[in-house]
Amino acid sequence: MNVGIERPLRWLAVAGLVALSPLAAVLPTRAQEPAEIQMWFDTTGGSETADCIVANAVDPFNARGGAVSVRATMQANNWDATRTAIAGGAGPDIVGTPGPSFVAQLAQAGQLVPLSAFAEQYGWADRFVPWALDLGRVNGELYSVPSEIETLVLYYNATLFEENGWEVPRTMDELMTLAQTIDEAGIIPFAHANAEWRAANEWFVGEFLNHGAGPEKVYQALTGELPWTDADFVAAIEMLNQMQQNGWFMGGLDRYYTATTDERLAAFGEGEAAMNIEGSWFMQDVNAFFGEEAGNENDWGWAPVPSTDGEPSYTLGIGQTYSINGNSANPEAVAEFIDYLFSPDTQAALVTQCGLPPAPVELDPADLADLDPRHAELLGALNEASAANDYGYTTWTFWPPETETYLYEEVEKVWAGEVTAEQYLQGHQERFDAEREAGAVPPIPAR
Amino acid sequence: MRTSVALPASPASRTRPQSRQVFFRKKVVPWLFVLPILLINVAVVLGPALSAVYYSMTNWSGLGPAEWVGLANFQRLAADGAFRHAFTNNVVWLAMFLTIPVGMALGAASLLAPVKRGSLFFRMALFIPYVLPSVITANLWRALLSPDRGIPAALTDLGLPGFDRAFLGSPQTVLPAIGFVDNWHWWGFLMVLFLAAMQNIPRELYESARLDGAGRWREFMDITLPGIRPTLVFMILMTTIWSFLTFDYIWILTQGGPAGASEVLAVLVFKEAFRNYNAGYASALGLTLSFFVGIVISVFVVLRRRGWEI
Repeated sequence: MNVGIERPLRWLAVAGLVALSPLAAVLPTRAQEPAEIQMWFDTTGGSETADCIVANAVDPFNARGGAVSVRATMQANNWDATRTAIAGGAGPDIVGTPGPSFVAQLAQAGQLVPLSAFAEQYGWADRFVPWALDLGRVNGELYSVPSEIETLVLYYNATLFEENGWEVPRTMDELMTLAQTIDEAGIIPFAHANAEWRAANEWFVGEFLNHGAGPEKVYQALTGELPWTDADFVAAIEMLNQMQQNGWFMGGLDRYYTATTDERLAAFGEGEAAMNIEGSWFMQDVNAFFGEEAGNENDWGWAPVPSTDGEPSYTLGIGQTYSINGNSANPEAVAEFIDYLFSPDTQAALVTQCGLPPAPVELDPADLADLDPRHAELLGALNEASAANDYGYTTWTFWPPETETYLYEEVEKVWAGEVTAEQYLQGHQERFDAEREAGAVPPIPAR
Repeated sequence: MRTSVALPASPASRTRPQSRQVFFRKKVVPWLFVLPILLINVAVVLGPALSAVYYSMTNWSGLGPAEWVGLANFQRLAADGAFRHAFTNNVVWLAMFLTIPVGMALGAASLLAPVKRGSLFFRMALFIPYVLPSVITANLWRALLSPDRGIPAALTDLGLPGFDRAFLGSPQTVLPAIGFVDNWHWWGFLMVLFLAAMQNIPRELYESARLDGAGRWREFMDITLPGIRPTLVFMILMTTIWSFLTFDYIWILTQGGPAGASEVLAVLVFKEAFRNYNAGYASALGLTLSFFVGIVISVFVVLRRRGWEI
């Protein structure tokens, strides 16, 4: 037995393996496993939309067989779950937030990956509408990309309007006069209620601030040049209060607080209510309440929410943003999927197949051929307003979080007669000032 | 050269291993059984509770680092009108739940206690609402309380006045309306507990009382109530604690609205933590809530130590 030779050979072999081990780690020994990244989808209101996004964005991406695969996880109360998970050092690789003000908080806490390098790599600056992309910047660095560009419009029961010879209002004064006429005809002027979504209050507060006082004044207030207690803002809130006191929203304040979404929209489709100020997201569902599908013979139309001077005006908003989790092990893979998700083809599929509001990227009209022409018309109008830099400001996009919550909760005290419009706006000013000082106001694009 | 001498074993050395075994079995083994749940409790109750004490003295938003602010959150709380309003609503809620469901449950249990045939049916029928998830009960009653197609509409159609209103939509009626819904699921549970306690009261006491000429009311006051006192007091204690923590029915039905009329402390804590992103302030609110509950428990413990049979 040649022990003297065997032992050094063994040690040599071990030493060789140790020396080569770093090399072994980088050399593929078999087919490379794709990097798996996680994305959470909100299922709070049902999983249909989430399933559709998975079918039209995640599955096609995974089917390409590339180096990255996405694992979709359904999650109720997704945003609260995401925040908690991120704070605990975990969470999905792709972080979806309800708006830019939340991105600022996460970015300032160091919990998101800066995206500027990826934006340059993938050419996102050329793909996204500039103002929308800039909303994702915190102290000059990009931390999120915008998804779901939204606005609010005036939907109306076109059949009812035609039967009664009503004209679609263009100014706020015309809107008030028409609502009075509709009310006197025994029809509910507006199919508005907040029983299932209390934050619906902010749709109306935001629209009346933007369309009553004008978007320029809102811009000045958001940038600190004008107080929120300006007389035009007070007048706008008083006008909204007047509508509530008249019982024009679902027939009275108590009905406004208790009618469910299905009840109010059924009333709208059946012609018991004539108008509905709601987001562009409603295009996805409106046909379920009109015509054959709903068991009536009514049709619908839409128009811009009336403005003071009668010129069409749109408040723009971002319904969601996407970022890369600072805890992600593979930011490059996440960026690759985000790039795919916001490609015009994927966005067109999500709009036409899932009825989702599109991201602020340019879509080929040919890809939207299947869309209801009224929906396509609205998307065109949104693009024009966005490109012309002539738009108003939705509260959930441009307001800091605490001020936004105050805006939609405390307005009920104006409607209850507990505070005046001035007192309400004074309280709004105090919260806004505090959050502005804390850097919580999203970057407001220059007009 | 060492020699060993075999000595007779002393009684002490014979029993030492045995006493060690007894000590292990009696003092160590029980702790080993408790240890897993103790560790879980430390991880999910004690740890978060201690961290809440820390965060109540910071301006933590719920994200990122927390900055120490001392007692500033408690100073803010003392001047916060929303806190006072929510606390008042909790007291109203407590008053409702210490009287209405307790009274209903005592009444129903004393009526059902002598019933032999069909008692199981009644017990089950009244208990079933308790096992329904709150989200189902709340949405069911949201529809039933609809002024246009629910019970109020039917009563209005019958010509009864005062029902043509949305009880959940008016600041004046919203809190009693939610209390009604919560009570609908709650009082059957109380009734079953009281009924079980009543059935343990010796029947001879009632027979003697009857021989002495006592009526039903006298029997109830002098025999039934003293007989179920431990159960009654315990459930009053739990009702008090749960009244301060109430959240689910209010959140599902109104989220504290309209105009804050149904806002209670737990709803305020949730909003501050998850809507306004003031997790530090929410922790201070939560601690204050725990303090109120602690007072109730302390009173209970002190009374027991002083010999009260509760």
